[in-house]
Amino acid sequence: MASLGVCRWARALSKGNQQRITALMSGARAASGISKDTLPGPYPKTPEEKAAAAKKYNMTVEDYEPYPDEGMGFGDYPKLPARSQHERDPWYQWDHPDLRRNWGEPLHWDFDMFIRNRVDTSPSAVDWPTMCKHLFGFLGVMFFLFYLGEKYPAYQPVAPKQYPYSNLHLERGGDPNTEPEEVKHYEI
Amino acid sequence: MGAHLARSYITQPDTEPDPRKPSSFDPQLGFDERKEREMVATQQQMNDAQLPVLQRDYCAHHLMKLMKCKRDNWPNFLSCKHERHDWDYCQHQDYVMRIERI
Repeated sequence: MASLGVCRWARALSKGNQQRITALMSGARAASGISKDTLPGPYPKTPEEKAAAAKKYNMTVEDYEPYPDEGMGFGDYPKLPARSQHERDPWYQWDHPDLRRNWGEPLHWDFDMFIRNRVDTSPSAVDWPTMCKHLFGFLGVMFFLFYLGEKYPAYQPVAPKQYPYSNLHLERGGDPNTEPEEVKHYEI
Repeated sequence: MGAHLARSYITQPDTEPDPRKPSSFDPQLGFDERKEREMVATQQQMNDAQLPVLQRDYCAHHLMKLMKCKRDNWPNFLSCKHERHDWDYCQHQDYVMRIERI
């Protein structure tokens, strides 16, 4: 199919036929979307429509609940619980163990977001207040220690290093016209 | 180790010397005659060798000899051990003087 498209493109471009190129472009646009039978159907209003939609998505009528009809284009797509695949039982013999999913099971609308190396909704090992206490306790202790180190620095008990030529008056950017105060250093 | 920190911050904060300031004592105090420190390298030589400011100390001539030796013996990084030792020893003596001066 792709090679056929390439052939048509090549032919249209070689002939330089403007009309045919635009016609091909509109055709390419239509082919990029998903086909009509894979799109969700219209929002179900009657119980019969709901039952039909539930059957379509391999669900029981009790489990089936569509997204609210707010013009977002969900149609009759079922609103599944927003739980990541990571929460599912790893020891069960899934049809697709990597995705932890059985064949024919309805997909969440954002299924690609909830696969195992993306969003994880499983409960964390530590609750939120404890996490905050640990983090801010650690940061507080560290900043207190930084403050102490700034106020009372640890130093080697030695005199400042001596430099020749009046403590490098010129080299440290001193004015060459002024005579620096003479600094004498003695050997010990 | 660290006893000077306890002295300067807790027990004797008035008398412990501040290492950032030059000594408050007269350098001739207790001496009849003192030998002045001798700087071997000239400012022109240090400029030509493009030494960093912090290395233009009283050991600069040893450092320039070491740099020249390293350049001449490149890529033999095992050479210039004697020059390296001369410079290191000069720096060590400089540090010992700083300890004794405080």
